[in-house]
Amino acid sequence: MPLFEGLGSGGEKTAVVIDLGAAYTKCGFAGETGPRFIIPSEIKHAGSPEAVRVVQYNINTEELYSILKEFVHLLYFRHLLVNPRDRRVVIVESVLCPSHFRETLSRVFFKHFEVPSVLFAPNHLMSVMTLGIQSALVMDCGYTETLVLPESFESIPILSAWEALPMGGKAIHKELHSLLSEQCTLDTDSGPGLSLPTVISAIPEDVVEDIKVRTCFVSDLQRGMKIQEAKFNLDGSAERPAPPPDVEYPLDGRKILHIKGSIRDSVAEMLFEQDNEEKSIATLLLDTLVKCPIDTRKVLSENLVIIGGTSMLPGFLHRLLSEIRSLVEKPKYRDALATKSFRIHSPPAKPNCTAWLGGAIFGALQDILGSRSVSRDYYNQTGRIPDWCCLSTPLPDSVYEAGKTPPPLMKRAFSTEK
Amino acid sequence: MATLLQPEKVLYLVRGEKKIRVPLSQLYFCRYCSELRSLECVSHEVDSHFCPSCLENMPSAEAKLKKNRCANCFDCPCCMHTLSTRATNIPAPLPDDPTKTTMKKAYYLACGFCRWTSRDVGMADKSVASGGWQEPENPHTQRINKLIEYYQQLAQREKLERDRKKLARRRPFMPQAFSQHTIHVVEKYGLGTRLQRQRSGAPISALYGLSLKEGEDQKEITIESAQALDEVEPLPEDYYTRPVNLPEVTTLRQRLLQPDFQPAGASQLHPRHKHLLMKRSLRCRKCEHNLSKPEFNPTSIKFKIQLVAVSYIPEVRIMSIPNLRHLKESQVLLTLTNPVENITHVSLYTCEEGDPDDINSTAKVLVPSKELVLAGKDAAAEYDELAEPQGFQDDPDVVAFRKSNKIGFFIKVIPQREEGDVTVAFKLRHDFRNLAAPIRPTEEGEATSEAIWLTHHVELSLGPLAT
Repeated sequence: MPLFEGLGSGGEKTAVVIDLGAAYTKCGFAGETGPRFIIPSEIKHAGSPEAVRVVQYNINTEELYSILKEFVHLLYFRHLLVNPRDRRVVIVESVLCPSHFRETLSRVFFKHFEVPSVLFAPNHLMSVMTLGIQSALVMDCGYTETLVLPESFESIPILSAWEALPMGGKAIHKELHSLLSEQCTLDTDSGPGLSLPTVISAIPEDVVEDIKVRTCFVSDLQRGMKIQEAKFNLDGSAERPAPPPDVEYPLDGRKILHIKGSIRDSVAEMLFEQDNEEKSIATLLLDTLVKCPIDTRKVLSENLVIIGGTSMLPGFLHRLLSEIRSLVEKPKYRDALATKSFRIHSPPAKPNCTAWLGGAIFGALQDILGSRSVSRDYYNQTGRIPDWCCLSTPLPDSVYEAGKTPPPLMKRAFSTEK
Repeated sequence: MATLLQPEKVLYLVRGEKKIRVPLSQLYFCRYCSELRSLECVSHEVDSHFCPSCLENMPSAEAKLKKNRCANCFDCPCCMHTLSTRATNIPAPLPDDPTKTTMKKAYYLACGFCRWTSRDVGMADKSVASGGWQEPENPHTQRINKLIEYYQQLAQREKLERDRKKLARRRPFMPQAFSQHTIHVVEKYGLGTRLQRQRSGAPISALYGLSLKEGEDQKEITIESAQALDEVEPLPEDYYTRPVNLPEVTTLRQRLLQPDFQPAGASQLHPRHKHLLMKRSLRCRKCEHNLSKPEFNPTSIKFKIQLVAVSYIPEVRIMSIPNLRHLKESQVLLTLTNPVENITHVSLYTCEEGDPDDINSTAKVLVPSKELVLAGKDAAAEYDELAEPQGFQDDPDVVAFRKSNKIGFFIKVIPQREEGDVTVAFKLRHDFRNLAAPIRPTEEGEATSEAIWLTHHVELSLGPLAT
């Protein structure tokens, strides 16, 4: 059957599925088991050495429009190698994506590339689709932030129970960079043991990311607690556990950076350190559970799904589970939450592609993809994309004839007319 | 001097959705709309696929099947260079006589840049030079396919439900017996419209027993929901004490090249087939005619259709700039080249006050008021050493020199600002004979078609003021 996917069955071509993340973009075709490409969400211009980030929310519309146009052009003509005009588009995005960004993105797709239709799918919902279950508590640990959103009872998101923290890859990179600048030394041609700021002003972020990916990890609960105690301890009595071995990291081929072992395991602790509001990634999950209706809590706590690139750090999942289990005993949650059992799913894809896979599965359902997408005609008529937070959008005529008919069986959550 | 020939010095204005100023060499000219087009205001289409290393053309159906990857060429997973197949001789026992050994050829892949070989990841040497290497398959493929089938079934149900509702509404207008839908229902259940009337309010669970088609092979597909795990594997104990061997750990970029596996260890990095490139054809958005269509053959750089602006619009180039001083009039020498084969008449106009296109100019310009005549381009002229005088009467104040299809002329520039670069703008008006327009059958004797006059806005950047 996979052989004849695009060739028979009604002749409609497979849709294009794009997951535009802040750090990486996953793109590919519907019905496939993995994205074709995972590329950094940035554009390199010939003149400047710095790449321009694509997902920026604070720049003006014109600039955002031209950056998005260039990026989507690269996606289609260098990576996907298809005509934009022939295929529907599924965009997997975060629920918290600003409307301005969505509108500009849809303008790029409809006006410039003239795609037939666009569907904006929330990434939490899409990850649940990869499992074949009806309810789950989804946590997305990405680059800019960590966002928790529960889905229950045939995958309706409980929007009032969302929780987020700006703890993600970006925060880790910043922390790692400052630790490296303070504590590590560099060997160059001019001599060994030089401190970092004297040689280079700043390590580029992709080098920091590479250091994080290759050398850092998340310790388990006991070790992590001891490291945190040693860090915050004022009288110096707490002992830090023995650090892992140092790493010699080559930079640019002429310099060697000596990374202290203590940095390797302590940089990920910031995800689990409770800040002044006593929030950490683990408390996000518990806070969400507290906000959810009581009857859903047991189901949700036994169906945890963790997606996002930051969750691929070695030891992350184990630590997260242990943290949740230890936090649930604390007085704040012990009385509020009756459920004490937590179970975690392993989706059939890597955590950074899970949301994309859900979008690809949904994009393969050609029967309803058309009815749930925003078509080019609708966009040309109204000039806007319907948004889940906007009540003034007129309903498209194609889906619901009368208000009396009950909504369809599946996925009533995110249909375009909210 | 060569800096004056840089294309960014002379910009033509394109009036598309946005006004863009681009050098003429980067523009296209739509003969049917008689307008300049830039890359932003044309629609791009994928024309053909080819492999960048073996330069083999791939038809689009095959490209879709192979997921846009070449069948023969591989990429090194470490450095993304193209892998080459190397052969060694290994002793192997003869099939007839196990005691004797003969030399057999064994092939392996190797990278010429980073010295990676297929033996590093444990891939066995193959006995055929090409076609023996397989990419590993994603272990989750089956589960994902089952999930897709299951959801497709749900989707079909939803569509059926929706269509039924649509038809149910139109009930008063259509005779019941001829509704395709009711025939289906009647055949299955022996009931008539009563069932439909009841059904529209009935709970959705009533649909579960319904099979989708008449055929018996359609059975209900159910899947087991995924099982959640109670425990996750912790990091191994020696992780905290084991020194990191950096070359063994894959970088993020290497991992992301294989999205299905993303291995952390370099010993699991398998090579992938090389990704194809494509040739692009451009189409005018208004009249849907092709502006650029490349040749099918990947090794050919020619075009089947090439409607570039340099072959239709006269090109202005800067030849020499004197010292420019604030509020002093200086003469700048420009050249004008005629790309077409017939005589072209060009006239230049200064931009009027308050011209919306004229936003960048920082100097006043005085252009020649007389019409300039350009001779047609003669392909054989370069071989003809004795160029005959062309018999044009040129005003020596305006025209500096004339050579086959090119003339040099003077413009007077008066910089208005004390600092910054001097930019001038003027309008170029020329006649264009549209040879693409169909010749009417009644007037056979007329070889020349109607000339239309086109006006372009040209901007020149003449550099900084002389200090």
